[in-house]
Amino acid sequence: MNIFGLLLLILLALMLCFAVAAVLMRNLVKAALCLAGSSACLAVILCFLVAPWAAIFELSVCSGLITVVTISAISLTTPYSKDEENELIKKRRARYVALPFILLIVGVVAGYALLNGQTGLMPTMSNASTFASFKEVLWQLRQVDILGQIIMLLAGVFAVVVLFKERDEA
Amino acid sequence: MMPIFTAILIAALLVIITGFFCLTQTRNLLRVIIGVEVAMKGVTLLLAFAGYINGNYDLVQAFIITMIVMEVVVAVVAAGIAVRVYEKNDSLDIRKLTKLQG
Repeated sequence: MNIFGLLLLILLALMLCFAVAAVLMRNLVKAALCLAGSSACLAVILCFLVAPWAAIFELSVCSGLITVVTISAISLTTPYSKDEENELIKKRRARYVALPFILLIVGVVAGYALLNGQTGLMPTMSNASTFASFKEVLWQLRQVDILGQIIMLLAGVFAVVVLFKERDEA
Repeated sequence: MMPIFTAILIAALLVIITGFFCLTQTRNLLRVIIGVEVAMKGVTLLLAFAGYINGNYDLVQAFIITMIVMEVVVAVVAAGIAVRVYEKNDSLDIRKLTKLQG
């Protein structure tokens, strides 16, 4: 295994750790920051997987914008009192204790199945090299996607405007 | 290359499971957003891996960008709904959402 393979493995492990931390973290702000860390690791992994444009979007939008939106929403709420928090910690611990064991079991079983080589699950590299360039794909082949994205963005803006519209109290 | 391919597939699977586990266990509206986002990370990784294996990097990048845009719209609208629910019920607990009225 070369240095890039080793680096990729470290990044995958980091991404998984950040994702698990985002779910298990008690503090919502720390959970949002762990999610941003997971996105940042994914962005570097995307670069390794020859997807630089996707990496840029992942880093700027998922790691930046979504974190800002989540933290803004968190800041508009008030934290629990000490008693409520202590009560919640006990309940949360009971609910989430199974996650590490589930991940361990699934990881071991999937690893065994994939590395065993007899299941036919492992993909093989394709040698095809006659695909369209990114510019052609985005602006010519996937024009409908662009239109869909614009409509979805407008729908999102409309939804936020409606949600935060001042209502006349009758 | 095989151990790295295996690691990518397993990492993506585990991240998706983590996100779905969060969705099934959480009772906080903001954690629902975090769960969806975590699951989306795993799907993004799988898509990028599929493009890498297939050699069709550019089509996959277009798909990932579309997915990211949808992810943002979902996150923003969900955060807006969570804030409005909090203003109305003084809680983010989904068990307290019993009155689905405007």
